[in-house]
Amino acid sequence: MRSGSPVRRDRDQRFGVVAAIVLGGFALVVLGLLRLQVAQHEHYRQLSEENRVRLEVIRAPRGTITDRNGVLLADSYPSFNIVFRPMPAESTMRARAVVRPGWVRRVAALVEADTDQVRALVRTANRSGQSAVLRRNASSQVLAGVEENRGELPGIEVVIEPLRRYPHGALAAHLLGYAGEINDQELEDLSDDGYSAGDLIGRTGVERSCEDILRGEDGAEFVVVNAMGKRVATLTEVPPRPPVPGRDLALTVDMHVQQALEDAMAGVEKGAAVAIDPRDGGVLGMVSRPDFDPNEFAHGLSRDRWKELSNGDSNPLLNRAIQGIYPPGSTFKIVTMISALKAGIATPHTLLQPCYGSYQFGGRRFGCWKRDGHGALDFVAALQHSCDVYFYQIGTRLDLGVLGATARAFGLGARTGIDLPQESAGLVPSTAWYDRRWGAGRWRKGVMLNLAIGQGEILCTPLQLALLAAEAATGGQALRPHVVKRVGGEPAPGRPHPEQPGVSASPEAWDAVHLGLERVVDSGTGTAARVPGLAVAGKTGTAQNPHGKDHALFLCYAPADRPTIAMAFVIENTGHGGTFAAPLAGRVLRKLFLPDSLAKVAVRTKPVREDTTGVDHGD
Amino acid sequence: MATSRIRLPLLDWPMLAVSVALLVIGLATVYSATTVPGAHQGLWIKQFGWMVLAVGAAWVATTFHYRAHDPLAYPLYGISLVLLVAVLVLGSSAFGARRWLDLGPIRFQPSEIAKIATVFVLARRFSDPRLDLHRFKHWFPALLVALVPFALVAREPDLGTSLAFPVILVVMYFWAGMPWQTLALALSPAVTLVLAFVLDPRHPGFWLLIGGGLAALLVVTRPGRLLLIAAVAMHLAVGLGTPVVKSKLHDYQLRRVETFLNPDQDPQGAGYQIIQSRIAIGSGGITGKGWLKGTQKALSFLPMRHTDFIFAVVGEERGLIGALTVVILYAVLILRGFRLAAVARNGFASLLACGLVTALFYQVMVNVLMTIGWAPVTGLPLPLLSYGGTALIVNCVQIGLLQNVALRRQEY
Repeated sequence: MRSGSPVRRDRDQRFGVVAAIVLGGFALVVLGLLRLQVAQHEHYRQLSEENRVRLEVIRAPRGTITDRNGVLLADSYPSFNIVFRPMPAESTMRARAVVRPGWVRRVAALVEADTDQVRALVRTANRSGQSAVLRRNASSQVLAGVEENRGELPGIEVVIEPLRRYPHGALAAHLLGYAGEINDQELEDLSDDGYSAGDLIGRTGVERSCEDILRGEDGAEFVVVNAMGKRVATLTEVPPRPPVPGRDLALTVDMHVQQALEDAMAGVEKGAAVAIDPRDGGVLGMVSRPDFDPNEFAHGLSRDRWKELSNGDSNPLLNRAIQGIYPPGSTFKIVTMISALKAGIATPHTLLQPCYGSYQFGGRRFGCWKRDGHGALDFVAALQHSCDVYFYQIGTRLDLGVLGATARAFGLGARTGIDLPQESAGLVPSTAWYDRRWGAGRWRKGVMLNLAIGQGEILCTPLQLALLAAEAATGGQALRPHVVKRVGGEPAPGRPHPEQPGVSASPEAWDAVHLGLERVVDSGTGTAARVPGLAVAGKTGTAQNPHGKDHALFLCYAPADRPTIAMAFVIENTGHGGTFAAPLAGRVLRKLFLPDSLAKVAVRTKPVREDTTGVDHGD
Repeated sequence: MATSRIRLPLLDWPMLAVSVALLVIGLATVYSATTVPGAHQGLWIKQFGWMVLAVGAAWVATTFHYRAHDPLAYPLYGISLVLLVAVLVLGSSAFGARRWLDLGPIRFQPSEIAKIATVFVLARRFSDPRLDLHRFKHWFPALLVALVPFALVAREPDLGTSLAFPVILVVMYFWAGMPWQTLALALSPAVTLVLAFVLDPRHPGFWLLIGGGLAALLVVTRPGRLLLIAAVAMHLAVGLGTPVVKSKLHDYQLRRVETFLNPDQDPQGAGYQIIQSRIAIGSGGITGKGWLKGTQKALSFLPMRHTDFIFAVVGEERGLIGALTVVILYAVLILRGFRLAAVARNGFASLLACGLVTALFYQVMVNVLMTIGWAPVTGLPLPLLSYGGTALIVNCVQIGLLQNVALRRQEY
């Protein structure tokens, strides 16, 4: 190999081959550079911008909710979510991405979540390009772990999102409702309204009906982020759009009343109680049983827990105060009496056939709740003792149209228009309704006997019954129940008119009704609601119910001469209203109208249970 | 054994100029990549220190006659093998592989030294005047010389660096006079291996493809009977054996191989780096974002930006113009190196130059193709540009040895 030109020539040949390979290799590199930097430059320039610039939502703080005296009922606080943000780049690559088991295990351990769940979330995120929340409301311990390891876990970020907080838990839960993070379906449906992922949205109650007031308007800004997702700066080229905070709500609710209602209803399995101010229709308190803790919803429920809450036979999510419909029972006798007095069928002093425990009509026997009978009564006494026989006789003389019109004028049979979602209308049957139901002429006057005592097809919500009590208290003045008192410190704009005209009747007629109602509590069927030193007017009711025990009802207002509160109680499947509903009203009134110490004494000396064995609290 | 007086005009000035230019660009880029807040901030000062040391080492490598290095070849090779074993036993790991030896203040990769030692030993063997590469006892020991360090480095595991050994071997075989037909036949089972992995060997089409390719190769190369039988047997063995091995691999092992073949599937790991590297280079465009102004770099999207992915920083900040400049400088360096191997009159010197340049070329190619996303992530630094002390010294010594050959290219 040492000598001569043959070696030299051989070397030159070999150099030629090697040089060709070298040049080929570098040509490949040049080709690659041209492709990336010239042909696909625009694509990669965008990706690098997407990499570093992100449009971030500046969350508008959701308005707080307070009672009429400023006691906080709902506010928001920042919580930390751990999020997986898939690569913005090269979606085709992302879609085919393999999620490594080791990586998933590590992330799952860090965020203290289920491995399978994390894997599924990351897969979906890679496919869709949308970030996935791996862990909500993370503890500071989890946060510290994530922060420590974030450099080695590209895509994992910590995001601050507002969480709704209800400091009193289940108190007034149905009235307040709850707000949770917006879901994908809602995002799609409401995309035009400026919602973005991570926003809170009201689902039920005031949170839902006042969504537009509470919500505010999110702002936005472009921020520069680094590879760890940490923001480095705000992009100056595009000025940020500041958020418009949601407005605060003050409700008509009075915390004292609400608390008293909650306490009174504490032992009730199913039922509802509503208190309204008869002077303006503002709702002072509203309770529905069974209840739920809205905080649970704010944190996000597991699927099992959701099923448990929404599918159960008791359905805690149902707001029985406005969605539950019940026969009003004898509480409806107020309506019957006013109708009869207005129509001139009877006067307050009219004596009808005495009550011997039942009434014969059309070949049928209609029983009075008091088997022994009430004897001879005038109209006021019949109301006081809730004598069914007296009211049957009124029913036979009363026209269905007249009775229905009065009921509707009180606000029964139609939505009251309260500013809460999904209110039920109830039902006040008319001639046309019976014709539709049974066929024209195929139903008889007998329905009037049942309607006169509040049985049969008629159905009311507890709110409507409270409204009935309030309107009876004020002599038929029309009211519209509502829960919003002030918005952002200003009185609620233009309170809408009542849905119903109210009931006009002579002062004498009203006086008779008021007298009867006062006597109900004083010495009639509702003595369990008696409060020493306070004139209380009320009416008991017992609604027959094909699915079990009777529902106990009671409605009342106080003080009887200048009413400031009107209430309705419906306790499902317990028995007589005088026994199971009236005592609850008594407890609430004692708490509200007696000094603390007296209220306690009163409760101790007059416990609820004793009532059942004491005075005969009838219907 | 003289340190003959250095005659400066004989130095390969273009190669020297190109090397200095690359070093300067490297320092500027490392400066840019390490002015970003983070763990690597300010490392460019250290790099500058290393550079001074490296230039000194290159000078020493240039001055001593290459024959003075010659007797050191086998001891150096032996030592480097010992060090490679030591790495496997005591080495410190990074990213799941043991590649480094800790020697007090410095850490180094013995595989770098093993590369130069192997080149020396091969050059010595192949420069024997009685060499006849058709004979088994002449080519087989050389194969062992390359495969032992290859196996050791591959076990670290550092597949990228380990493949440098067979590549050097093949090029030096070729340079020493092995007929290209023989080389082509010997390398062809590698193609079969890859095809057997990617395609389905149970399909008749696979065998048609392999058979057709081999037949064409045989017609062109016309090998001897022995070689022909050996080649066909190897192809059959690889084609039949691969599915068996593949079926015995564990799921995770298979996935590792697949990730190696297609890193885009793994955006949280190796794929992330490649994607970010491509974004960096592509977003640089023709003129680049400007020195110190790379956003991919500055916001830490680009991983290992001062070491393995430094070329992406060049591409982002200096654009196509800067990247092409670097590519052209490397091309000049490599081609001048091979040219030097071609003109050196001494056989040992020629083979030495060829082996050293091949090592450089391999490393440049693998690194640059990796940063543009056309090769898997292997963790090879870019010679003369990347941050890293031992690598820089070894690369400068390689350049120094090439200059050594240049100085004495007219000697026999």
